Amino acid sequence: MAESLEKLHNRILSDAKLRAADVIREAEEKARQIVDDSRAQAQKDADEILSKANLEAENIRRGILSSRIRANRLRILDEKNQIVQGVLRSVEQSLSDVASTDQFQPALKRFVAEAIDAVGTDDTVVRVGFQNAERKSLDSLGRTLPTGTRFVVEDKPIDDLGGVVAGDVGGKMIFNNSFRARIERLDNQLLTTISSTIFGE
Amino acid sequence: MSGIEAVRKIVETEAQAKRIIEDAKLKAKEILESASAEAQRVRQTAISSADQDKARILKEAREKAEADARSSDEETSSLLENYKKLFENRKEVAVKKAIELILGG
Repeated sequence: MAESLEKLHNRILSDAKLRAADVIREAEEKARQIVDDSRAQAQKDADEILSKANLEAENIRRGILSSRIRANRLRILDEKNQIVQGVLRSVEQSLSDVASTDQFQPALKRFVAEAIDAVGTDDTVVRVGFQNAERKSLDSLGRTLPTGTRFVVEDKPIDDLGGVVAGDVGGKMIFNNSFRARIERLDNQLLTTISSTIFGE
Repeated sequence: MSGIEAVRKIVETEAQAKRIIEDAKLKAKEILESASAEAQRVRQTAISSADQDKARILKEAREKAEADARSSDEETSSLLENYKKLFENRKEVAVKKAIELILGG
């Protein structure tokens, strides 16, 4: 009986140890799974943080660069505009003194002819006015105009810079061929010419 | 051995077996708690490292962009200086061409 009791004792303890080992093994497996899952999730979260960081970095880079590049483009445009405007001021200055140059008479004849042609009537009134122009030379031009054309020499330059204005007697049809009017009509061409000459563009 | 002693022996053995299992359960609980702590540490380490990398990436991006912006400023300043020289050198030709255009010769 003592022998069978000893066997029962050993059997009970052996079963308990086996069950205890199972409990530990299950816990260790679960522990490994917990750590592995956490590591995988942490890696996923870290990758997401870095992915967002790269996007944010690109936004920061664009924000800094685009505003600065935009400001610099404006600086360039402003400088170019100032240069072109400076040239135009010199052009206006030169035009106000053009009456004393060799270019004046041929240009005046063209201006008057263009203006008369534009009005297209037989009773055209042509007014001219330039700074520093000899009245005698202006009057002599008037004598070459078609019959019926009235020629008026103004004391002051037309539109400040000088030029020619033609119209019919009733004043319904007027063609302004002053320097300033021509500058306005040739605006795009002038800007292109000045810009290409200065900047080579 | 009497019957009573045999029963007492079995009861003691059962109690010992119960302790073995209880000890195992206690150890299993400790293993799981330790695993949870390890999981938390792993997560904290990874996130902390990512946050540090993020700060470095943003700092480098900002510094690089600022450097590029300064470079753009310098290029622009150089270009503007060049424009001023071009203006001085070519102004008279530009004025002459513009006047020719206006006079229509």
